[in-house]
Amino acid sequence: MSKRSTSDLTALSIAEAGSLMARGEVTSTALTEAFLARIAAVDHKIASFVTLTADKARNAARQADMELSQGVRRGPLHGIPIGLKDIYETEGVLTTGHSHLRADYVPAVDAETVRRLKAGGAVILGKLATHEFANGAMTPDQPFPPARNPWNTAYQPGGSSSGSGAAVAAALCMGAMGSDTGGSIRNPAGFCGTAGIKPTYGLVSRCGIFPLSFSFDTAGPLAWTVEDNALMLDVLAGYDPNDQGSAKAPKVDYGASTQRPIEGMRIALARTWYEGNLTADMAKGMDEAVRALRDQGAIVEEVVFPDIWDYHVCGRVVITVEAHAIHRQEVIETPEKFGYTTRRRFQLGAFLTAEEYLRALRFRRKLQVDTRAAMRGYDLIMAPNQWGPPEIFEEPQEIFHFLGKPSLSMPFNVTGQPALTVCCGFGIDGLPLAFQLAGRPFDEASVFAAGSAYERATPWRLRRPTL
Amino acid sequence: MTEKKPPTLEEFRVRAALTGLPLTPEDIEHLHKGYAGLLSLMERIPTRWAWAAEPPHVFRADE
Repeated sequence: MSKRSTSDLTALSIAEAGSLMARGEVTSTALTEAFLARIAAVDHKIASFVTLTADKARNAARQADMELSQGVRRGPLHGIPIGLKDIYETEGVLTTGHSHLRADYVPAVDAETVRRLKAGGAVILGKLATHEFANGAMTPDQPFPPARNPWNTAYQPGGSSSGSGAAVAAALCMGAMGSDTGGSIRNPAGFCGTAGIKPTYGLVSRCGIFPLSFSFDTAGPLAWTVEDNALMLDVLAGYDPNDQGSAKAPKVDYGASTQRPIEGMRIALARTWYEGNLTADMAKGMDEAVRALRDQGAIVEEVVFPDIWDYHVCGRVVITVEAHAIHRQEVIETPEKFGYTTRRRFQLGAFLTAEEYLRALRFRRKLQVDTRAAMRGYDLIMAPNQWGPPEIFEEPQEIFHFLGKPSLSMPFNVTGQPALTVCCGFGIDGLPLAFQLAGRPFDEASVFAAGSAYERATPWRLRRPTL
Repeated sequence: MTEKKPPTLEEFRVRAALTGLPLTPEDIEHLHKGYAGLLSLMERIPTRWAWAAEPPHVFRADE
């Protein structure tokens, strides 16, 4: 077995580490120790972990190694160190939602996704920072410090899966679980320069994950490469009778889909959503990403979709009402325990009527139908992931942030389509740029094929933040 | 139907008292701004629907 340094090990992709472990060239114990050492060395700069489960991780790694030595490999995540957004319930491990309200909450049972990860041999390193209950902004009145952007700690990492994006980018874990209700996987993935996928609504179980909006909540991974996201989804996807939104979708080999050629693939570019409103860096990144996909043989054409504001307001009304319903009792009984931004976001739903909520749901169906019609004849939709750089760390987010620009990620929460974030370079400020690829419902395979082809054709996966 | 005109702060205070929420004066000011802003955005959502247009109670992305 060749000797590899800690930094060599933490820079591996899941696919590379899996191959090395399968060949006996690396052990899960060595990988896990390398990540624990790096977390100890640098995480104080970005505060991505809120709970570290080092002993449990070492035990899981030993178990993975023992099984490998006996010829047992449970799948692509066997022995792979990962982190979990702290809204995923974990048996015997604190699960706080980054909130004083759950500061002492220790679940008795794992979330279904966590169960699947463990059954697949993954090594759980710990729990990751999040915006409070996956909705609030990062405010100083919360029980843990907010995560920072590893590319420049003077900036926010995006959210709400803030710790997940920061930890993956900083090479503190090989993959992380996030959740996406209005963009909360894709937002930190884009701002931290990782890949991340919001799967089709219903593909991955939400059972045991703190809810924010039943109609939109989606669980999914973030990892350094598109291929690694596909490997994680191979383990995560599947029907769960305990999740009312769960779908019985056919089993797909997502890992294999990343090797599919994309020649002739038809991509609808949603230029009307962003034309004239991106920063110069982001506009250049988009144009070059379009060119790179065309160079790979894809056909990229401009297509007009419903107005971006339509998706934005539809999603915001549904989330506001459902989040209020979920948190109403605590907002009434212990409002002081919420962060000041979270509290107001959860209070606002009390002012919307049942008719307004149902009107938004009806609008959702119309937008879904209209989007599908506009996408006819195309395999994918392409759009920017973000308007420009992330917010500055010291500048608190507006309480009602949705009154500014529309969300570029919300369209695919409204339609339920799978949407992948792919890094497409860096701005002059050194911060990552990213675009989205969205597929037809349950066609994650095409999304991964195009995202992976783009990554292989560009050099962006070679650059990592220095901490 | 949605009110076309956003409520004044005074009107909003009256409405806030009916929500059952314990709200500080500062909460109400923030919420008033948020509500007025959201109401304005909601003008994009059509108000007229076929009476039997059923909203997706349990949404399925593949329908």
